[in-house]
Amino acid sequence: MTLLPAKIHRPVAVFFCLLLAACGPTKPPPMGIEDATRQLQAAREAGGSTYAPLEVRSAEERLSMARAAAGKKDYEDALQFAQESQVNSELALAKSRLGKTREKVEARTRENAQLRQDLSTNPDSAGANSQ
Amino acid sequence: MNLKMWIPTLLLIVSAAATAAKTDLDYARLRASLNDLAADPALGKLAPAERALAEQAVQAVAEKGGNGKEHAHLVYLAERRVNIAYATAQAIDQERRLDKLDREHDQILLAASRHDAEQARLEAEKQRIQSLAQAEETERLRAEADAARAQGEVSAQDAVLARKQAEQTKRLADAQAKEAALSRKEAQLLADAAAADARSRPAAAAAAPAATPAGASRQMVLNDTAFAPGAATLRPEARSNVSSIVAFVNRDRSKQIRIEGHTDNTGNANADLVLSQRRAEAVRDALVGAGVDARRITTFGMGQAQPVASNSSEDGRAKNRRVDVILEDR
Repeated sequence: MTLLPAKIHRPVAVFFCLLLAACGPTKPPPMGIEDATRQLQAAREAGGSTYAPLEVRSAEERLSMARAAAGKKDYEDALQFAQESQVNSELALAKSRLGKTREKVEARTRENAQLRQDLSTNPDSAGANSQ
Repeated sequence: MNLKMWIPTLLLIVSAAATAAKTDLDYARLRASLNDLAADPALGKLAPAERALAEQAVQAVAEKGGNGKEHAHLVYLAERRVNIAYATAQAIDQERRLDKLDREHDQILLAASRHDAEQARLEAEKQRIQSLAQAEETERLRAEADAARAQGEVSAQDAVLARKQAEQTKRLADAQAKEAALSRKEAQLLADAAAADARSRPAAAAAAPAATPAGASRQMVLNDTAFAPGAATLRPEARSNVSSIVAFVNRDRSKQIRIEGHTDNTGNANADLVLSQRRAEAVRDALVGAGVDARRITTFGMGQAQPVASNSSEDGRAKNRRVDVILEDR
């Protein structure tokens, strides 16, 4: 049982067409999703969930919207959502930095006041207490 | 007929004016907020890079305020950029306050310790004088005892005397030991304060931040001697290297600039992540200060994640503590 040349050639041609398509430029335009993901990770690690929960949540929402848009090949929307996610993460980072520093300032202020008080009420042992 | 033609035209003008008015409203609000920040006596000079980015985002709202969706997107971005500028300026302001409080804390401890040492010195002096008086008294009593013994009377006075003398000697030794300990503590605190001072003003440190010769490459490396250990501010002497980075990034102004901070694997990973981000931002601020367009720059803190050498040797770790400045295509 021999196959007709056309019957062999057709699948081979189809195969090569598919191969060509697969090797073609399939890379979508850059959408900033990677950068936005990294920035969100940094915001979380800097304590964003504590100091800027709203911004972190917005960043998460926009990032998943960006991914969904990219999945639908809607690259323009994906880029916009990724940018919006990233800016929220950056804001969360800045707010976390502010929140943490404020806490440290408050703690140090209390500590210094306590130390001064110890010194004035009990001058002989203040130095020892503070160690 | 004339009237019929005018009505739609008028409606068009009114609706266009309404859209323009809304655009202006968003822009005016953001612009006013940004102007307030710039005019703020405490915050106005801080976070110049964040302010420049906010400025550009607000400008984009004014320039490309076209269709509804894009306009909303630009307002969204600008709004947050303005907030970032505020939050960063406030954070820097608070960090300065914290520095001041830390110095105050050291001063208080130092004063307390000086006070203690002074008290101990006074106490030791008192003991010494008492001891002298006691010695005289002892001498007198001994003379009396000798006289008595000479008379054949062995008195119990001797025993009392010896005990008194021993007690006094011990008190004196205690006071002197306390004084010595306090003096040591004071010296330690002074040394700590001096070290803290040196950390905050590392002007004399002989750091030679080696930026790799750029040539045709797309990357420059600023190594960690540009920063004090654990700190995220550029040392004054590293600022001269900034000019070579500025020259490097300005060779091709169409390229984006990616600044990545990296650390070695010692210390807490999260803290390193934050430190590397801050260092990258410090380099960005220096570049923006030297006139590089802030829009071209993105900063990333990579922490310990991307070593270029082994972390098992000091040399390798030093190589890993770095800031990469990378030129990228848009």
